[in-house]
Amino acid sequence: MAFNSTVENLPEMGRFSLRCKRENTVAMSKALGFELPSSISEITRSRTRSALRLGPDEWMLTCPMEERSALGKSLAAIYPDAVHSLTDISSREVSIRISGPEAEELLSTSCPRNLAELASGRGVRTIFDSVQVILTREKKDQFRLDVWRSFAPHVLGLLTVAVAEFECGL
Amino acid sequence: MATQKVKRTMNNWRVDGKGRINRDKHVRFTFDGVSYQGYEGDTVASALIANGVHLMGRSFKYHRPRGPVTAGSEEPNALIGTFRSGAGRFEPNTRATVQELYEGLTTVSQNKWPTLNFDIGAVNDKLHKLFAAGFYYKTFMWPKSFWDRVYEPLIRASAGLGISPTEPDADTYAARYLHTELLIVGAGPAGLAAALTAARNGTDVVLVDENREIGGSLLSEAPTAIDGKNVGNWLIDVIGELEASRNVRVMTRATAIGYYHENMVGVAEKLTDHMASPPANAPRERMWRIRAQEVILAQGALERPLVFDGNDRPGVMMAGAAQTYLNRYGVKVGNAAVVVTSHDSAWHAAFDLADAGVRIPAIVDVRTNVNGYLQSEAQKRGITAKVGHSVTSVSGTKRVSAVKIGRISDDQYVTDITSIPCDAVLMSGGWTPSLHLFSHTKGSLQWDEENEVFLPGEKTERCHIAGGGRGLWSQQAVFDDGVHAAQQALSSLGHNAQPLSVDVEGDRAGSGIVMEELPGNDDKLSRRAFVDFQNDVTAKDIRLAVREGMLSIEHIKRFTTNGMATDQGKLSNMNGLKIASGELGRPTPEVGLTTFRPPYTPTTFGTFAGYHKDELFEVTRKTSIDSWAEENGAVFEPVALWRRARYYPKAGEDMHAAVARECRETRTFVGMFDASTLGKIEVVGPDAAQFMNRMYTNPWTRLAPGRCRYGLLLGEDGFIRDDGVIGRLSEDRFHVTTTTGGAARVLTMMEHFLQTEWPDLDVWLTSTTEQWSTIALNGPNARKVLEPFVKGADISAESFPHMALRECTVAGFEARLFRVSFTGELGFEVNVPSQRGRALWEVLYQEGKKYSMCVYGTETMHVLRAEKGYIIVGQDTDGTVTPADAGLTWAIGKKKPDFVGKRSLTRPDMLLPDRKQLVGLLTEDPDVVLEEGAQIVEAGDTAVPARMLGHVTSSYRSETLGRSIAMALIECGFERVGTSLDIPMPGQTHRATVSRTVFYDPDGDRIKM
Amino acid sequence: MLLIHCPYCKETLPELEFEYAGQAHIARPENPAEQTDAEWRDYLFIRSNVRGDHAEQWRHSHGCGRYFNALRNTVSDKFIATCEIGQACSNGHAEGEENNEQLES
Repeated sequence: MAFNSTVENLPEMGRFSLRCKRENTVAMSKALGFELPSSISEITRSRTRSALRLGPDEWMLTCPMEERSALGKSLAAIYPDAVHSLTDISSREVSIRISGPEAEELLSTSCPRNLAELASGRGVRTIFDSVQVILTREKKDQFRLDVWRSFAPHVLGLLTVAVAEFECGL
Repeated sequence: MATQKVKRTMNNWRVDGKGRINRDKHVRFTFDGVSYQGYEGDTVASALIANGVHLMGRSFKYHRPRGPVTAGSEEPNALIGTFRSGAGRFEPNTRATVQELYEGLTTVSQNKWPTLNFDIGAVNDKLHKLFAAGFYYKTFMWPKSFWDRVYEPLIRASAGLGISPTEPDADTYAARYLHTELLIVGAGPAGLAAALTAARNGTDVVLVDENREIGGSLLSEAPTAIDGKNVGNWLIDVIGELEASRNVRVMTRATAIGYYHENMVGVAEKLTDHMASPPANAPRERMWRIRAQEVILAQGALERPLVFDGNDRPGVMMAGAAQTYLNRYGVKVGNAAVVVTSHDSAWHAAFDLADAGVRIPAIVDVRTNVNGYLQSEAQKRGITAKVGHSVTSVSGTKRVSAVKIGRISDDQYVTDITSIPCDAVLMSGGWTPSLHLFSHTKGSLQWDEENEVFLPGEKTERCHIAGGGRGLWSQQAVFDDGVHAAQQALSSLGHNAQPLSVDVEGDRAGSGIVMEELPGNDDKLSRRAFVDFQNDVTAKDIRLAVREGMLSIEHIKRFTTNGMATDQGKLSNMNGLKIASGELGRPTPEVGLTTFRPPYTPTTFGTFAGYHKDELFEVTRKTSIDSWAEENGAVFEPVALWRRARYYPKAGEDMHAAVARECRETRTFVGMFDASTLGKIEVVGPDAAQFMNRMYTNPWTRLAPGRCRYGLLLGEDGFIRDDGVIGRLSEDRFHVTTTTGGAARVLTMMEHFLQTEWPDLDVWLTSTTEQWSTIALNGPNARKVLEPFVKGADISAESFPHMALRECTVAGFEARLFRVSFTGELGFEVNVPSQRGRALWEVLYQEGKKYSMCVYGTETMHVLRAEKGYIIVGQDTDGTVTPADAGLTWAIGKKKPDFVGKRSLTRPDMLLPDRKQLVGLLTEDPDVVLEEGAQIVEAGDTAVPARMLGHVTSSYRSETLGRSIAMALIECGFERVGTSLDIPMPGQTHRATVSRTVFYDPDGDRIKM
Repeated sequence: MLLIHCPYCKETLPELEFEYAGQAHIARPENPAEQTDAEWRDYLFIRSNVRGDHAEQWRHSHGCGRYFNALRNTVSDKFIATCEIGQACSNGHAEGEENNEQLES
């Protein structure tokens, strides 16, 4: 039984935590240039940006590193009329991509959620072993883990041991 | 004795044409240094019995010779040590009846010295009258002082099963979560019928079984045919069908060890214990956490021993076990086997053995009324049936050589005793439904008066019990029940279940009665009739417990240790209960049943630990600068989950020397410190200042953007919870710092208040601890090191005073620059995005060389802050310290109407005059460094015990002051300043003078440079 | 391991994502300064310690991060209902009331 999945670190990307009240989401969407997702775990995107809704008043925005300043300015401009919190967390997390036919089962070594219920194109904040992560199912066989920087070696260590276990075929 | 002589002759106890072992594959193994041969498919127990070896161990308390009494995971006696290849792979207490054979396996017996055949500890057996239940409790009470020094070490040295491994476990372990619609525990007839029913309906099924192959009781006691096929072929077809179903996962060598809330079942899967050479990187075991929507428990039933004198002798075993050894392993357990029973099933076992060539001198059945069909079948085989008879004793020490039997008279006394030579005794006291997992769920058990068994009652989980677990006996009934359970489960899942029928030919129905201790011909007192084989508990012990006043089964269990061994009373609980209820004269269900708890069978610690060993034992958080510290020889210490550089020794320096140097160089020149682990929270929104006012004791409204302030956080109870410097970046944005260990706790507390008490506030919190790397520069040269790299801010003393904050760039990196100090020196903290931390550190390190800069770790940080009397929350405070106690009333906004904890500060207890207060201590001998945690008493108080006034919270050797300093929480501490107190420490009592906590630069001039 | 329904995520998820946050419906007094010592003591320390249905606060800490209210039976450990913060969960017997019957274990 060949093992055909990979675990890789992704390059740095711009990330923001966006918080605001429901009544201001329309203004936020307008300033960002695309509609914020309306339900938890949903992801929406423009050409270069994406938004994952993590909670009732919380989104994780992503953009290229060089676009961070522009994104920040566009939201700052509407702050007086649509109060919110935009905080740069680009350096807080690192991203790990797990892809391949065994990706879901590989994650099930440490992830208590029923991953079959996480549809492609959705993401959630959850727990991997004892580590809080944002888990996104980019495609059926491709997942991304956003992990706080100092926890990443632990998560990668677990995934590395799990890969060796899968490769041994037992 | 004939049986002893044939010991090393190979395989002459094998029966041709029987068993599921692979006779083409010979396997060599050793037991106590003697090499034996078995076959692939054998267990250690079946292979040893095939070699004529029944004596496999000595018992725990009396060191009595013991052999296997079962053929499965319930085995209490045949516990051995196994050495798998390589260091760190010795395991004690492996059940020989479970351990599969492989080439080169090395095994040893346990609880013997010097040898299994001659064991000195067996003297306990001769003195058994001294070692009755409760012996330890009663005997070793006096004299009291002997307990610690004499009795306990002696008892501990001689107690314990097997020998603990001395080397670290060399194996790795794995874990997996699995979600399924239906989990079936047990792949015997009920489980297989349920699995087939569910599989054919397309349901997601996981079927687990602890054995190496599916089949359960079908492997031990085969009916003539199932669905017209012989059982072997039927099983081949079934496993083929199940494995071909995409929706079915069959897991063997997988024991369901615990049943937890909401249908979460823990399954320990053995992966390599049966392999001579496992693949590289293979984990030894894997813990599955299976969440099922429906669970079917098809665990069958366990055969009960009979309780009679000598029932523990090697060669005495369960009748069903003998049947398993014969039908599954092709091994006969003896040449002449007397059967003793209270249940029909042992008659069938006798017939199977007789048909395989074992002589059955007698079937002794305690019942007077036995099914005529069985009697005629016995007659056909020339077996003498002794109904209404009992066994009074067993001869033979290391192997049974004869049994004495006699007729049970009307007064339950045995007469007409005769002795029958034999080399095996097969007993059966009937069958106990295996409801261990069901008990884990707190499912209730109901007493079935007619059959005298506990059956499943009220359920707390979505589970169904099928087959032997419901007291069903015949295989047809069990198959049908499995189908029925699957139909119920599928209906709960909303699936239509097509019925399925399994047709059993040659089924063996049967029944029996439940006995207490068997009737005998004596006063019972001299009998060695064992109830719990592993813990050496006899029927006499249980009766003694009742006479000593134990009324509940829970008390009897603890007094006698019945059922407390590693087999958790699988064989002993019901017999113990029957004997206790007889002695108490109360009905069995009133005496009650002890609670079964996970794990179902002994499980290695490794399986529970899973991946969490070595560097993955727990999370070790490291900063971006940690790698530089490691490359430069730092010594680390754990702080919360972080590892932090504690000091940076140069060649030849110990900690003391390194810390002294780091302190000296920082105060004289400049020192650099990695403060990245400090918690950071971004508080943003129009109500940010209002929120800060409510959370922290200090006032925030008038703090100007670009300025910082020390913040003190209390719990609602008024005690100090955390502190840190807080900067205002703009009108609506604060950069809050917390202690390293308090980061998550503070954010949680803030969120709790915000979400549940003040949802109206427009403010949001984001953890930014890991967004920033924080580098602290402290010392007179700090500005000189930093200044060349700062763009976008003037950091001169005039434009950038103490407690100022700027957003700028440092060495080209975006930065938040604070002028703060935790050393009392001119200080800066530079925050740059995390991944730039090490680059900036190296730039500053190079520049620092021009100014005699050192790098310092947490130990120096602790000394420098203590010299200034700066507290560390959690070290100098312990959750009972108010701002007033710590001398921090200056940090309280006097005009604020409210903040978290304010009301508590005027509770009566908080105003008591004798509260402990944080003060300094200066020892009379300046070279004495007090121990942190040392207790403090009045000077000259030599009373025993002395009244303790408080304790030392921080204590260091101060290089700056050339002497030791300490901080302490002391009753009425502030009033005691200038007076002397004593600190008793091992070997010597030290005298110290109480002082203020600021030891160095009390006017704070150095910070203003 | 329990399964807990998050009223915000509208999903039933493993207990490991959640943490307990104390007894529910204990509101911080509007004006603590006006509280007597006894009233403030009760607010700080006095809790119901129910054997039976217990109104609790939980947080979906490794999920959406929201605090919510729950009704949980302290004998069976299991959740009976969860609802958004500011609401009282119904146990099917009496609206928002604790069902403190003595259950046999």
